[in-house]
Amino acid sequence: MSISLEHLSKSFGADAVLSDINDVVPDGSLTALLGPSGSGKSTLLRMIAGLETVDQGRIVLHGRDVTKLPARQRNIGFCFQDYAPFYQLSVFDNVAYGLKVRRKSSAEIRREVEELLALVRLEDFANRYPRQLSGGQRQRMALARALAIKPEVLLLDEPFAALDAQVGGELRQWVRSLQHELGITTLLVTHNQAEAMEVADRVVILNRGRIEQAGAPSEVYDAPANDFVRSFLGPTTPFDGEQVRPHDLALVDDGSGRSGQVRDVIRLGFEVRVVVGFADDTSSWIQLTHDEAQRLNPAVGDKVTVARRR
Amino acid sequence: MKKSPLWLRLLVIVYVLGLIGVPLGFVFQRMFAHGWSALVSAFGDPSMRSAMWLTLRVVLVAVPVNTLVGVGVAIWIVRHPSWRTKLIDRVIDVPLAISPIIIGLMLELAYASNGWFGRPEAALGLHIIFSYPGIVLASVFVSLPLVSRQLIPLLREIGDHQEQTAASLGAGPVRIFLTITMRSILWATAYGVSLTTARVLGEYGAVLIVSGNITGLTQTLTLNIGSNFENYDAFQGFVGAGVLATTSVLILLVLGVARHRERKRHEHLA
Repeated sequence: MSISLEHLSKSFGADAVLSDINDVVPDGSLTALLGPSGSGKSTLLRMIAGLETVDQGRIVLHGRDVTKLPARQRNIGFCFQDYAPFYQLSVFDNVAYGLKVRRKSSAEIRREVEELLALVRLEDFANRYPRQLSGGQRQRMALARALAIKPEVLLLDEPFAALDAQVGGELRQWVRSLQHELGITTLLVTHNQAEAMEVADRVVILNRGRIEQAGAPSEVYDAPANDFVRSFLGPTTPFDGEQVRPHDLALVDDGSGRSGQVRDVIRLGFEVRVVVGFADDTSSWIQLTHDEAQRLNPAVGDKVTVARRR
Repeated sequence: MKKSPLWLRLLVIVYVLGLIGVPLGFVFQRMFAHGWSALVSAFGDPSMRSAMWLTLRVVLVAVPVNTLVGVGVAIWIVRHPSWRTKLIDRVIDVPLAISPIIIGLMLELAYASNGWFGRPEAALGLHIIFSYPGIVLASVFVSLPLVSRQLIPLLREIGDHQEQTAASLGAGPVRIFLTITMRSILWATAYGVSLTTARVLGEYGAVLIVSGNITGLTQTLTLNIGSNFENYDAFQGFVGAGVLATTSVLILLVLGVARHRERKRHEHLA
């Protein structure tokens, strides 16, 4: 199911949170809504779920206008950042909640819940309560609960932000492969550009309530539409009056670049940062690979020339 | 866990025994002082029986009313905040801050047959002051915030993500309230209900004014106890006091269970 957002706007009082949002989330894609805090990305997700009203514009799910439809009639799976487990219900009853609403027979419910718990690898936890689960297990339970209603679209609000780095990393890979397996159109919100690039096959970059750019992760990284996107997606450094990626600069010895002097060398193991100062009092930093750094062996005070790669 | 110092434990024991234990013991001692047959005939006293019956009828209306209103107001204040709910949040504590006797006078000025609402009451054939509806009104008033005060911080802490998730799974408002909200606030509500019941049972000042204290008609159990002491029938008064004290102890037990459940819930949250 594709999601079309047409001229969406939203204000809270005098503050415009979203202005004229237009985008089409393609059927079966895993799209990341990426932006700094306050960019309106969570509000947009909540509007699609029907948890927030729309001031102007339309939300169309595969040809069906759902703008005015209440959340419970949209058939959209929504997972909060805190996973919002139903604390008073067992894991089984959490996952069964949406099926009971749909008045399925208890045999059907049992079969479907067992399938879902196997899918999220929680088969052995059916009789536990949410407070007895770890953060990662709660997230998988919330996913199973959302998937139980066979939603047309899955919406995840900062799904990995509450987990420690290692568990978060494992779950990112798992969610990505699960999404590929199920092929369900998924939209996730994140403020973490590395997470968006790693998980999503499409990235929508939001800033101050507007879409700055949308496209495949490599597209937006290699051809950023503006300086905001460029600096938000990765580190930049000034060179020749422009912002460039530090890994697009190199130390050369054919006399083609700008000459300067090494001011600092920072060794981070897999990469080495070389800070070079120029005669006009500007400076750039250059990202060298471990191998390059070993070969060139730059030291503070060395005279060097800097040029763009390619 | 480290033990508290001896002086602190002694202080607590003296305090609890001196203020609660010994005086309460005396009430029961006086109640049983004349033997069983005297006790049985005291229970047969028609004015006390009618007072007990009236108190029960007041509790059976005032407590459910305040429970429903308390739950509704708490949900409204927490889930749909606006300038109106801010105002209500402030005003709802007024009954706890004002002396009950003043509440009684306020109600009498407003609802007496020569008061503000006197004419519409007469037109509808209602008698509020010096009769049962007035006593209920005063009881509701004095115990108004006790349920909502328990629920407001709890509802804030729980947040609305569970309810919104349930909505996205297809549940309507009634189902969400019954399966999600109510289950989370059940024990806190029980705590508020027992506080409300204790307050309604024990109310004296406000009820004294609005009821007119007519023996056998508008006299609640607390008023009956008071009038027995005034009429130098101390034994009859102690029997009434014993009944009231026993009920309160039972309510305290319910309260204890509710608090224990609440505390367990909080431990699990951490």
